Amino acid sequence: MSGRARVKARGIARSPRATEVGRTQASPLPTSVDLSNNEASSSNGFLGTSRISTNDKYGISSGDAGSTSVERGVKNKQDFMDLSICTREKLAHVTDCKTGSSGIPVKLVTNLFNLDFPQDWQLYQYHVTYVPDLASRRLRIALLYSHSELSNKAKAFDGTILFLSQKLEEKVTELSSETQRGETIKMTITLKRELPSSSPVCIQVFNIIFRKILKKLSMYQIGRNFYNPSEPVEIPQHKLSLWPGFAISVSYFESKLLFSADVSYKVLRNETVLEFMTALCQRTGLSGFAQTCEKQLMGLIVLTRYNNRTYSIDDIDWSVKPTHTFQKRDGTEITYVDYYKQQYDITVSDLNQPMLVSLLKRKRNDNSEARLAHLIPELCFLTGLTDQATSNFQLMKAVAEKTRLPPSGRQQRLARLVDNIQRNTNARFELETWGLHFGSQISLTGRVVPSEKILMQDHICQPVSAADWSKDIRTCKILNAQSLNTWLILCSDRTEYVAESFLNCLRRVAGSMGFNVDYPKIIKVQENPAAFVRAVQQYVDPDVQLVMCILPSNQKTYYDSIKKYLSSDCPVPSQCVLARTLNKQGMMMSIATKIAMQMTCKLGGELWAVEIPLKSLMVVGIDVCKDALSKDVMVVGCVASVNPGITRWFSRCILQRTMTDVADCLKVFMTGALNKWYKYNHDLPARIIVYRAGVGDGQLKTLVEYEVPQLLSSVAGSSSNTSSRLSVIVVRKKCMPRFFTEMNRTVQNPPLGTVVDSEATRNEWYDFYLISQVACRGTVSPTYYNVIYDDNGLKPDHMQRLTFKLCHLYYNWPGIVSVPAPCQYAHKLTFLVAQSIHKEPSLELANHLFYL
Amino acid sequence: MEKIPELRRRGLPVARVADAIPYCSADWALLREEEKEKYAEMAREWRAAQGKDSGPSEKQKPVFTPLRRPGMLVPKQNVSPPDMSTLSLKGDQALLGGIFYFLNIFSHGELPPHCEQRFLPCEIGCVKYSLQEGIMADFHSFINPGEIPRGFRFHCQAASDSSHKIPISNFERGHNQATVLQNLYRFIHPNPGNWPPIYCKSDDRTRVNWCLKHMAKASEIRQDLQLLTVEDLVVGIYQQKFLKEPSKTWIRSLLDVAMWDYSSNTRCKWHEENDTLFCALAVCKKIAYCISNSLATLFGIQLTEAHVPLQDYEASNSVTPKMVVLDAGRYQKLRVGSSGFSHFNSANQEQRSNTPIGDYPSRAKISGQNSSVRGRGITRLLESISNSSSNIHKFSNCDTSLSSYMSQKDGYKSSSSLS
Repeated sequence: MSGRARVKARGIARSPRATEVGRTQASPLPTSVDLSNNEASSSNGFLGTSRISTNDKYGISSGDAGSTSVERGVKNKQDFMDLSICTREKLAHVTDCKTGSSGIPVKLVTNLFNLDFPQDWQLYQYHVTYVPDLASRRLRIALLYSHSELSNKAKAFDGTILFLSQKLEEKVTELSSETQRGETIKMTITLKRELPSSSPVCIQVFNIIFRKILKKLSMYQIGRNFYNPSEPVEIPQHKLSLWPGFAISVSYFESKLLFSADVSYKVLRNETVLEFMTALCQRTGLSGFAQTCEKQLMGLIVLTRYNNRTYSIDDIDWSVKPTHTFQKRDGTEITYVDYYKQQYDITVSDLNQPMLVSLLKRKRNDNSEARLAHLIPELCFLTGLTDQATSNFQLMKAVAEKTRLPPSGRQQRLARLVDNIQRNTNARFELETWGLHFGSQISLTGRVVPSEKILMQDHICQPVSAADWSKDIRTCKILNAQSLNTWLILCSDRTEYVAESFLNCLRRVAGSMGFNVDYPKIIKVQENPAAFVRAVQQYVDPDVQLVMCILPSNQKTYYDSIKKYLSSDCPVPSQCVLARTLNKQGMMMSIATKIAMQMTCKLGGELWAVEIPLKSLMVVGIDVCKDALSKDVMVVGCVASVNPGITRWFSRCILQRTMTDVADCLKVFMTGALNKWYKYNHDLPARIIVYRAGVGDGQLKTLVEYEVPQLLSSVAGSSSNTSSRLSVIVVRKKCMPRFFTEMNRTVQNPPLGTVVDSEATRNEWYDFYLISQVACRGTVSPTYYNVIYDDNGLKPDHMQRLTFKLCHLYYNWPGIVSVPAPCQYAHKLTFLVAQSIHKEPSLELANHLFYL
Repeated sequence: MEKIPELRRRGLPVARVADAIPYCSADWALLREEEKEKYAEMAREWRAAQGKDSGPSEKQKPVFTPLRRPGMLVPKQNVSPPDMSTLSLKGDQALLGGIFYFLNIFSHGELPPHCEQRFLPCEIGCVKYSLQEGIMADFHSFINPGEIPRGFRFHCQAASDSSHKIPISNFERGHNQATVLQNLYRFIHPNPGNWPPIYCKSDDRTRVNWCLKHMAKASEIRQDLQLLTVEDLVVGIYQQKFLKEPSKTWIRSLLDVAMWDYSSNTRCKWHEENDTLFCALAVCKKIAYCISNSLATLFGIQLTEAHVPLQDYEASNSVTPKMVVLDAGRYQKLRVGSSGFSHFNSANQEQRSNTPIGDYPSRAKISGQNSSVRGRGITRLLESISNSSSNIHKFSNCDTSLSSYMSQKDGYKSSSSLS
């Protein structure tokens, strides 16, 4: 995801409510809807309540400003939902012990911290009603907080639900207050329930407490993370500044409640929108300025420093000026200039600038018209990186240098955060009133599993580093390659020469790896996508084994139209190469080697293998992604191995029209894969292990209840007497914990093959972390595996080792990859379909890795 | 024999046995000789009962012969098109001459449900089509979308950029909505009388319907057009021909084809010049191409330039004058002096003297009609489509998927019903 998109996603999550400027008067009181919703849900049953309503009550109570976002709430709710799925208790072989024992123990430091509290710690949940009823949440909060009974207690309140760490004397407390207008309001506080510290609701309250604490450390919440604007990291040569910050969370791990923090950066541009506009105007002149300006600015995310909020630019209103008036919520009219003066003490200098328009996110259950915010360009700072910037190598390098912290840097930043929390009196006071104590950093013992040998034809090689064995296998022949006899090269006039020299090189390297490449038919084509497609349509006949296209530019239409035609209309493996790539003279050999390997795979060849002790094992990878064109189409990619050596694959991609990220076509795929397996092996696989990637927060339940049964029924349905045993493992590349090894008094990335299956894992799951990638710069992130279903009964040791072995089998990279190969294949397939093809590739290609 | 009533229940018995051949072939292959005879007999009776002309059935007998090879799933090659011409009966004639309008309206994205204005119509395309004649006329116009609701400019811009790329403002080609609608009405309904049915793809139906209503409101013209889906039309045609419902997958694969994306004279001028694939007119024309290519051929209709963009394949030299086939192997051979690539060499000899189309159907190449094939290449190509030569990859694509699907399905069905 590009920086810009990421920023945008975060930006959208914001839902500024009370203080944004110039809101149109469309919806006067959406809050009342929210509140009634809260009440309705909180009067429901116990567990159900907490799940449905927590997003509102906790998110809201986090701050007096009342700024909450639906997104954040939803995220909490979803994390929460995952936690209630206890899969481990159903897996008899791991209920007692889920840790492995093989491998060399290694001492690891984590980014997790103990959170101590008294054993009898409890949280008290109260329900507050107002007579007469008040609609304004701010007023409700202010009235309640002004009471002395509550003023020095630790509390969290969203206007309806109140949490206290100490019990009030009475079960029902009645208070009354007078508003500024002289009205007397009666408040009734009723105890609803007492929650033990292990309750999921408490975890949410802990998260709210820590959000408050980080605010007290003068950090600002942007999206889900907290940033410190007072210590920016400047990159002056690119007009960028980075705000350092943290992503934090509190959750229950294996045995206790832990606080986790990870370093994060917010990329800001030191340029206001007004400055950007002025510069653009000087460059392009006034003619067509408005249009160019709209084109360049719309969709960008801006940050207003007066309240540190982000907005997306949805429109530019050229007719409104800062001197114009708008209606405030109370109905009075005020000019933008005066508003900023009064509210933020900011003087707007340019009174002729147009206004930016941002579409505010609608709240749930709110069917009113869209609300707009008008923003003053002068006060808006651009955030994130444009596409232009992300393609600027120097700029990205400069950003990476600052943001990719090595383990030692990360450790320092963590230490400072902890120090700040403990030293800041406000923060410490907040913790103490809740009865919490910030503890020590967790260290644990991981294990490094043995490295793998790479099996080539007539040769077994022990790579120097599992990260990249391209040098180790240079002289070895690959396992199996189809001879390439009839094939085409399409190139333009300009690229004909490079195509020829590349062809020579390709044949040489292919020959040495045991892949016979005959001379192709070279077709010269004009430089436009239509000419390429027509040439393909014209020259491809059933005998053609592969089409190679030397593309004159990286314009997406070339690639998309060729791939679309050759993947579904006329299924022939195709290889696209950018002419620019072939111009890199010094690298010709390595480029040719890579392309030769890809071509071998596309023809159904096998490159290398690792030793798999389990006979008759089928591994399956499943990944999902949204189609780039039609957002309501989900692309499900499934890849299954079809031989015991796990070197040949059956790949299929299915498009489904749905709003959820759950696959409902798995039976179709599994039946097909099992038929293929049967065809090649004359038997069904004894074991099937499914790696499922692309699982978001809160989807675990649907996975367990919806996808696993599909897989099971297809396994059971396909064989009459013996049914294959199934395991399903959820693979996640993003997870909170990080691990470092301590070495010579500094910390480093842990070695490849490090497995962590204690302390940082969750008690209710059969899960482990595996480090199967190297980070040349920065800190390596572990991959998280959660076994949600397991009939195979493999020992945790074996499951971990097998997963590690599978990370070696991705043929697009002669080295280890961060996820098991079938997942990476499924990902590559879904990406191709979602970005370029937008329809199901022909099944005729299913036996080849045509999408590499 | 108890299979026959069952087949009937499934709707498998067909009016003319020849129609059923490709679809019952698997069943046929599994039946014994006398059963086949009996079945044929019953089919004839059934057909007679239906009051249809049983004349041609006699002629169809030879068609059965290839089916007698036991165990063979009959591929579509056995749909012997010479018979097709004799089979074009009166019912078909009405269908073949029937005129359909394919319509599409593009919008600058779709606005969320709470907005009053859900779409911003910006381009309209419509073609008049019949199976017999192909595309008879087309209509295309850009539409002035009107004022973009405040705050949605980015949304609309992004939607446009990712598809048709029509500018959201200051686009001088956009016509006023009332005029466009009037012109459309004039196009589809030039003479008084019944309004013809209009078809669009089911995915687009909501949008097209909304836009038509919206434009009608703006122009105060009242005419409720009947908007049907192309998918249903295909089902209808297919059913009329084969008395059997095709599968949804088959229909989707029939209509969702990328091969015409760059065909000449398909997109509107503006989209052609800007090299953008998303064009409302192109969508309509491609529907026509797909239907011609897969359904019209089943009726034995000779495809013309009005059916599919043949000119691209016929005169591709003029379209891409620089397209040259290089005999790389021969060059290399001269240079390297190796003799390992002679088979390419000879093939290329032929190609060089041939227009590029000449090497398309590989059979034609072998037959050695070299220099004179220009212009006739396509005729031969068409003939070979009709002959359903397996060598043809492109034009028979849909047929292949059709029959392979059918044979699979029937194979499955018959085995299940027999066992």
